Amino acid sequence: MSKVITNNIRRLRFDFDEMTQKVLADAISVSRQTVVAIEKGKYSPSLEVAFKIADVFNTSLDKVFQYQEIDE
Amino acid sequence: MSYKERSIWASLAILIYIWFEYFSGMNQLYGSQKLTVDSINELLLDAVIMTIVLEILLQIVIAIIDHKDANYDEDERDKLITLHGCNNAYYFLLVGAHLAVFYSVFPTLKTYILPSIDLPNGYFVMHLIIIFALLSEIIRLATQIRYYRRGF
Repeated sequence: MSKVITNNIRRLRFDFDEMTQKVLADAISVSRQTVVAIEKGKYSPSLEVAFKIADVFNTSLDKVFQYQEIDE
Repeated sequence: MSYKERSIWASLAILIYIWFEYFSGMNQLYGSQKLTVDSINELLLDAVIMTIVLEILLQIVIAIIDHKDANYDEDERDKLITLHGCNNAYYFLLVGAHLAVFYSVFPTLKTYILPSIDLPNGYFVMHLIIIFALLSEIIRLATQIRYYRRGF
């Protein structure tokens, strides 16, 4: 068992009027590819970008990102 | 594929093509016993001019194809990937720098390594630096491509 950072960005985008990755990327000043990488868990963003994402969805950081154990 | 990734692929392709041409040209000159300081200078000048021209042309083509992202600034992930690429390339360049210094201190090594080539010692040091700078650049670009492809 190891701990990894997971996120709910895909679900949050869906709940937020099916926001596109491009719109989210522009809102947090990163490229669409970076949003794709964050969503897939291939890249852990800086604290600043993490807060910006939470801010876009009007929610707290822990609702967007979780640090949890996963089965290997 | 992002604008940045396309641009890196283009730079890598140009780099490999131009310097392959350069070293195969040198090999041909060596084979025909025409390897002189003047012929090397000519090849080197061609390589530098071709690199600049092709780099400008290909970057313009990429900007036309992907015009929406042409003015896009690097984000934090791009900067981090660039940093990792430079970090990997640095170690290789460092090895090259040490070898160039070592060779400059012991120029008689030439008689053991390339005894049949009659060129000033400065040209051997220069080519040692060119080869390691070239390989470092390839490592830098390849590392960046790897991180863009496999994720970071």
